[in-house]
Amino acid sequence: MSTGKNDKSHKLTAKIKAAGCAAKISAGELSQIVRALSSPPCPQLLTGIDNFEDAAVYKLTDELAIVETVDFFPPVVDDPFLYGRIAAVNALSDIYAMGARPILALNVFSFPTCDYPIDVAQEILRGGAEAVSEAGATLGGGHSIQGPEPLYGLAVTGLVHPARILTNSGARAGDLLVLSKPIGTGVGLLALKAELLPDAPRQALLDNLTVLNNRCLQIALPHAIHAATDVTGFGLIGHLHEMAEASRLQVSLFAERVPLLPDTYQLAEQGFVPAGAYANRKAYESSVCFINEVETALADLLFDPQTAGGLLFALAPPEATELAGELRQAGIQASVVGEFTPGQPGLVEVIADDK
Amino acid sequence: MISKVDLRGLICPEPVLRTKKLLDDPGVERVEALVDDDVCVNNLRRLSNTFKATTDVHQHDGFFEVVIDRAARGSSTASELTTAPSVRSAGDVAAGAGTTTVVFLAKDTFGDGDPELSRTLVNLFLQTALEAGHQPRAILMANAGVKLMAPDSPVLKVLEDFRQHGCEVLACGLCLEFYGLKEKVPKEQITNMFAICEYLFAADKVLQP
Repeated sequence: MSTGKNDKSHKLTAKIKAAGCAAKISAGELSQIVRALSSPPCPQLLTGIDNFEDAAVYKLTDELAIVETVDFFPPVVDDPFLYGRIAAVNALSDIYAMGARPILALNVFSFPTCDYPIDVAQEILRGGAEAVSEAGATLGGGHSIQGPEPLYGLAVTGLVHPARILTNSGARAGDLLVLSKPIGTGVGLLALKAELLPDAPRQALLDNLTVLNNRCLQIALPHAIHAATDVTGFGLIGHLHEMAEASRLQVSLFAERVPLLPDTYQLAEQGFVPAGAYANRKAYESSVCFINEVETALADLLFDPQTAGGLLFALAPPEATELAGELRQAGIQASVVGEFTPGQPGLVEVIADDK
Repeated sequence: MISKVDLRGLICPEPVLRTKKLLDDPGVERVEALVDDDVCVNNLRRLSNTFKATTDVHQHDGFFEVVIDRAARGSSTASELTTAPSVRSAGDVAAGAGTTTVVFLAKDTFGDGDPELSRTLVNLFLQTALEAGHQPRAILMANAGVKLMAPDSPVLKVLEDFRQHGCEVLACGLCLEFYGLKEKVPKEQITNMFAICEYLFAADKVLQP
């Protein structure tokens, strides 16, 4: 991957209140907003907004469906190239989360040309284009407007066989959960803004944000995956809740087995916790039950909104451990972090080791 | 040394970062910070804990004053509990140090005498415990005890007061369903046998009046 050649720091993030997926409308507000939406049923639409799926799937023929998603957010880092790359990786991830292959992307871009030089805009788009091309998709154009703050992302189309769609809803009791990236990007990005991250943790954060989920999905697809999603703005607990609710199961999350980005635990402990994490805590607190004592910093990270987060897969136990092993062998930091159980549908039970 | 700072209008993470820089100086014993919202308050509370200082929060019209004091440590576990938001989180549940007491109400009466008297006594028991300042970690209701959560129950108010003090007030979902009360109780107060079991076994003391 090339790095941004634009070294003049325009402090893209200086005026931005909420970074990345933390800029999402909270789950509580969103469900209030979409409650008012109703569209006549369409037999070709295989997924809707009902189960909070990552993307919409539209069946064209018995062999072919298209997957559509759009995702954009304000700058998360000051380097415009990296910002573009991260926003594109994040948008493409929704396609992978449905088990699909991205084929076509369009830029969604808002930029205040009076506040920043034009080459900043070029770098953002170049970063996005790099991720699209690495994903094997084609950039077909886009739409740009003048706006008070930069916003960038993609509308992406993917292809999938209708019978092979991965959704939130297929998990079975006894399935284990495999998570393919460490969490903590919300806390990490806040610390990056505060210039508190030493080189190594900073690099780990940026690597985590810029790596596509395509290889992870390729390795996972041959396995019998019952359900999948990607971890983004609602945090690990929020997305688990949605998976559990859609699958009508309860889920246990093994708190200490969730891999964290370096330094994020100490930073969360010191109060570098984004507003989105508090909003997620509020939105999901009635769906979470903490067993034993989970430290506040760890709980904050489990609620932390993720940008360009990893994929979450539900599979039967032997398949799950096998997949986690294969992913780790490929250099992907995957772990088994939870288990689906019968019980109260949608309930996330956070289990810490007994101390 | 006392440091007074006005952090209003600053975008996250500036307020917590500036406060951290102040506390990094061991000469600063007390920081009095003005902040805009409860996200900042919560962040400063966490920061203060890592410096083993106490946190007092005063709400003003449209802003908060957060007082972080290094010298006063040790005297204020109680004040931390009362200022902690009644959020159902691991950290807040753990805030009540010392022995953890759980109140287990498996029937809607206090003892087995005259039914009307026995129901009045439950209310009296909870009122008295609250007024005496007892802070159980949880009040759990199962079997006929869940009737105490019915909309017309005279103890609803005192149960809510306990909740405001950071105590979990939870009723068994299966039992609520049996008595036809499930739709009438807030979702966040409905629990299952697994959680009830965990609370009972984790408690140092279980009271079953």
